[in-house]
Amino acid sequence: MSALLSIEAIDVRYDKVRALNGVSIRLDKGEVVALIGANGAGKSTTLRAICGLARPVAGQISFDGAPISGLRADQIVARGISMVPEGRHIYPFMTVKDNLLMGAFLRRDKAGIASDLERLFVRFPRLKERMGQQAGTLSGGEQQMVAIGRALMARPRLLLLDEPSLGLAPQMIREIARVIKSVNQEDGVSILLVEQNSRMALKVSNRAYALATGRIALEGSSADLLTNEEIRKLYLGIGDAEASAGVHA
Amino acid sequence: MEQALVNGLVLGMNYALIALGLTMIFSLMNVLNFAHGQMYVLGGFITYYVCTSLGLPYFVAILASIAGLAVVGLVFELFLFRPVLQRSAREESSMLLAAGTATLLESLILLFFGEKQRGIPPVVSGVFEVGGAFIPASRALVFVIALASIIAFMLFMRYTRPGRALRAIAQDREVTALQGVNIQRYSALGFMIGAGLAGLAGSLLITVLSVNSGMGTSISVKAFIMVMLGGAGVIPGAIIGAFVLGLAEAFGYAFIPSSMTYLIIFVGLIVFLIIRPQGVMGKPWG
Repeated sequence: MSALLSIEAIDVRYDKVRALNGVSIRLDKGEVVALIGANGAGKSTTLRAICGLARPVAGQISFDGAPISGLRADQIVARGISMVPEGRHIYPFMTVKDNLLMGAFLRRDKAGIASDLERLFVRFPRLKERMGQQAGTLSGGEQQMVAIGRALMARPRLLLLDEPSLGLAPQMIREIARVIKSVNQEDGVSILLVEQNSRMALKVSNRAYALATGRIALEGSSADLLTNEEIRKLYLGIGDAEASAGVHA
Repeated sequence: MEQALVNGLVLGMNYALIALGLTMIFSLMNVLNFAHGQMYVLGGFITYYVCTSLGLPYFVAILASIAGLAVVGLVFELFLFRPVLQRSAREESSMLLAAGTATLLESLILLFFGEKQRGIPPVVSGVFEVGGAFIPASRALVFVIALASIIAFMLFMRYTRPGRALRAIAQDREVTALQGVNIQRYSALGFMIGAGLAGLAGSLLITVLSVNSGMGTSISVKAFIMVMLGGAGVIPGAIIGAFVLGLAEAFGYAFIPSSMTYLIIFVGLIVFLIIRPQGVMGKPWG
């Protein structure tokens, strides 16, 4: 099977500091792949490189067989990659509906946009109630739904999720995990998930990579990594508070 | 009293066009367009030239002013602001550049249109009387065109796809690129619209107040007062600021010695900004 997304040995630098060092990642069509690791390990930088917000100084990124490394962010969206940025970054002074319509910016099929909006409101009934409200007035969890919904409105083939559980209550994290699974299984969208909540990430993904200081430290099937001693100790924090905030999906 | 109110409303409606353009350029590109007053003046001169030298109808002159200033805005954005903003992260660079463009435009206006004060005669004749105030038909016409343009602008920003993209860029540039918006193309569009609005205002107000090549800076100062009053980057704020200034000017000129009016306006502005630095509708800093 050919890879949908293939990252080959990319280096990314911020100023002179090397943020990524020869990172290679592969994601096949239909997969959910998780990227876990500590703060500053390079997870978000990897996503920024994929969606065109950071330029690799070496290596190659290909999507669906074609190189995308040199493209602008808006050109990469047009290829079928949508990103849910860390911290949600919804438009606070726009209505929920306008936020969602921004996600469909590149689409011209009015009927398709309208029916996708309806489908989205079935998935997130709470957003329907708040359609005309300014998005900045929503709760954190609702804002995360707006951010995910906005990305889905582009009908992406690959969805990049950057820390979707950050700052959310455990109940809301379970909800996000459920949404990730349903987007993948029902809509057939491939997903690259960056998470500090490693337990949740490993539970919803097929495969995972662990990043440490800008390099891939470990990779494997998520089920294996969940039971891997090293991973348990380093990323799942067995015995400390993080485990109790984990998801039992 | 009624006369001052009417004059103030006509002035405020046209000032709103100026303030909207300025606030648009500021919120999209984070550029303080010091050349905004010169853009207004150029709009006036284009209108004068098209009406008087070419003898074409006033409506053609309005369209020529809008189009001419949109081209100026596009050229400024493409060849001046874009390269500077790309290479320099420091705000002083774009501010110095903006100050330079104001001088550049002022010199070009002087070169092409001369130093004479220019105005055009009333476009339509007749006077309406409304509740004790006299409104020349030409002022009423200018008021209606300005009002219609502002409504069209707001509908465009609220309900169209490009309008939504422009609002999105003003709120979050990077994330808007992630929705598939070509940021540079839309920044250029925003600069064109902002400059075009200044040109429209110049084209309308030249029927009421004549223009000369040196008055651009004072118009820019007025535009900045309006935007600061209402709150930078906020559309309704710009409109509120414009009407406050327009009415203050009209009442000031009617009831107190004219040299005092702007003294009082500036003192009032300083006191207001001490109490509410973010303006009427602006967000508090930080």
